[in-house]
Amino acid sequence: MRRLEVAPLTRVEGHGRVELEVIEDRLAAARVLINESPRLFEGMVLGRDAAEIPSLVCRICAICSTVHRLAACQALEQALGVIIPPRAALIRELALLGGHIESHALHLYCLVYPDLVDADSVLQPLQQGDPLAKDGLALKAFGNRLQTVAGGRRIHPINLEIGGVLHAPADDELAALQDELEGWLKRIEPLIEPFFREDAWPDAGPVAGLRIAVDGNGEFTLTGDNLVCSDSSMVNASGYRDLLQETALPDTNAKQSRKGGTSLLTGALARCEFASPGDKTTPFPPGIHANNAAQGLELVWSLERAHDICRQLRAETGDLCSPFRAGPGSGTCVIEAPRGILVHHYELDDMGRVGAADIITPTAINSTAMEEQLLADLADETDEPTMRQTAARIIRAYDPCISCSVHVLRVDRP
Amino acid sequence: MIRTRIAYIRLTSCSGCQLTLLNCEEELARVGELFEPVRFEMLSSAADDGGPLAAVLVEGSAARPEEVQRLLDLRRRSRWLVAIGACALSGGVNRLVDDRQGEHCAAVYAGVCTGRNMFPPQSIDHFVAVDLCIPGCPPEPQEILGALLALQRGTLPGFLREHAVCMECRQRENLCLLLERKLPCLGPVTRGGCNARCPSIGIVCEGCRGYADQPAREEQAHLLRDLGLSERQVRERMGRFTGGNHETP
Repeated sequence: MRRLEVAPLTRVEGHGRVELEVIEDRLAAARVLINESPRLFEGMVLGRDAAEIPSLVCRICAICSTVHRLAACQALEQALGVIIPPRAALIRELALLGGHIESHALHLYCLVYPDLVDADSVLQPLQQGDPLAKDGLALKAFGNRLQTVAGGRRIHPINLEIGGVLHAPADDELAALQDELEGWLKRIEPLIEPFFREDAWPDAGPVAGLRIAVDGNGEFTLTGDNLVCSDSSMVNASGYRDLLQETALPDTNAKQSRKGGTSLLTGALARCEFASPGDKTTPFPPGIHANNAAQGLELVWSLERAHDICRQLRAETGDLCSPFRAGPGSGTCVIEAPRGILVHHYELDDMGRVGAADIITPTAINSTAMEEQLLADLADETDEPTMRQTAARIIRAYDPCISCSVHVLRVDRP
Repeated sequence: MIRTRIAYIRLTSCSGCQLTLLNCEEELARVGELFEPVRFEMLSSAADDGGPLAAVLVEGSAARPEEVQRLLDLRRRSRWLVAIGACALSGGVNRLVDDRQGEHCAAVYAGVCTGRNMFPPQSIDHFVAVDLCIPGCPPEPQEILGALLALQRGTLPGFLREHAVCMECRQRENLCLLLERKLPCLGPVTRGGCNARCPSIGIVCEGCRGYADQPAREEQAHLLRDLGLSERQVRERMGRFTGGNHETP
């Protein structure tokens, strides 16, 4: 038996590696090992006031900081029985969409695009004046602009707190965003086209895993009350444990999610499949690499939705934040992070302090499917360098966010 | 043109400091012209050649022996070492967990992880000499770019601001959130350099850049208590980015 390593995994967010076991030139086992220190956020928040939590937990991950902060706010608002003003909900959604656009553009143009042009990093195509790299980065910058206007900052947004938001964008800022969004909607098609090309990707088999997503009733959504699964089951957010069935793995710092022994897939591809894309789509490329094209499609939807929100916000003049009183309760939020379902659950004691917390990240949910996909797609591959390279590209296609590992990480065995 | 060889490593953190650099979308092409990222896993898949470096940029706290090893290896190879962000400088939010690390491991991992092979997260100056500190959670992009340009010219910038956020806030003629709106703003004790980003849109400073030089911590704690915050709330507010529960103002 030989053991091949793809270490470290590069152009992904966080530290990880892949181990492949080859017996008589055939791949026999594949493991995705995550090499991160436990951050222990779920322990860190215990005993702290609810109001302290959003600002702390967004530090789980910078790329997903807006969605982590929002998930915490929503779960805690449910626990405290707070209804936020409609204007605040719109501003929050604008920040969420900004994060979605920024993260997808980061993944597609900085992390994946170098594979398509045979470069080590986006710096090479950028220096050669490649228009796709340049425009892709400009789109990423625009996602950051939305996050700044609505969330107050590109990373670790300060504007989102329990009860609503603290600051409203000025009308001229929203008007400027509207114009820019119209510009982007005219320019976006050629920017995402390369990710739909079939010849851009290695050969790949069917995508592993039952699909799960936040239910949008057949429409693109990032928020909602229920989780939907491709085996036709549906659960309310509070029943997330029944669907995800998370188990701790012995000898590791990992928790894995599976449903009745089947792996689960969450992320852009799962969302697009549930959102019945209709006539907007060109056919997706084969296999898990379709996730990249799905992100491209979501860029279009996110820009359209953000445009609609800017228009609505300009007509809104209501309150920004609802008052709340500290007290007991429990609340769960399910929300779509750029790379899939994120769950935040909190229980507050009589003093309104956190007594229990549970946070489940999309990369934890996808980890079993990643290993299955590696085994399936590399089954007929015998050339070692190709095996390594393809393995790296398969993992990259999931857009894993390894530093989101709140409690999901698998530390390397000593 | 010979590009300056740099490495970027991340220890225990959220990736926000490297994302701050990657968020300099307009400047990235120029960064690529001036610098060779010898090792920068999130940006580049080029394999580290193990050769000497002009500078290594380090994000995150050290929390495992292998992180210390990585830190020492790169320190030996590099002329300069730059610590970026609250986690590398003070331990940042990671420090909030440290005195109960074992207990939390048991709770979060339902007994299967005992926290072996880890230690309470530390600022990196416990292990290596640091030539330049760039504060913030997240840091300011201009401070990272400014540092890179100085390094490329063979020197270090000396721009760690001594003054507090409060001074920048006054220069911008903002309404004082602490005295006039009676909100728990940490601007008076927090290191400036962000141009009072948060108070300028009416949101209190949460102290993400760490303490300014000679902070009036006792006076700040007194002002917060006057607003009705309990002793515990004052400690949590002021300790979020400055070393956790251990700071008693």
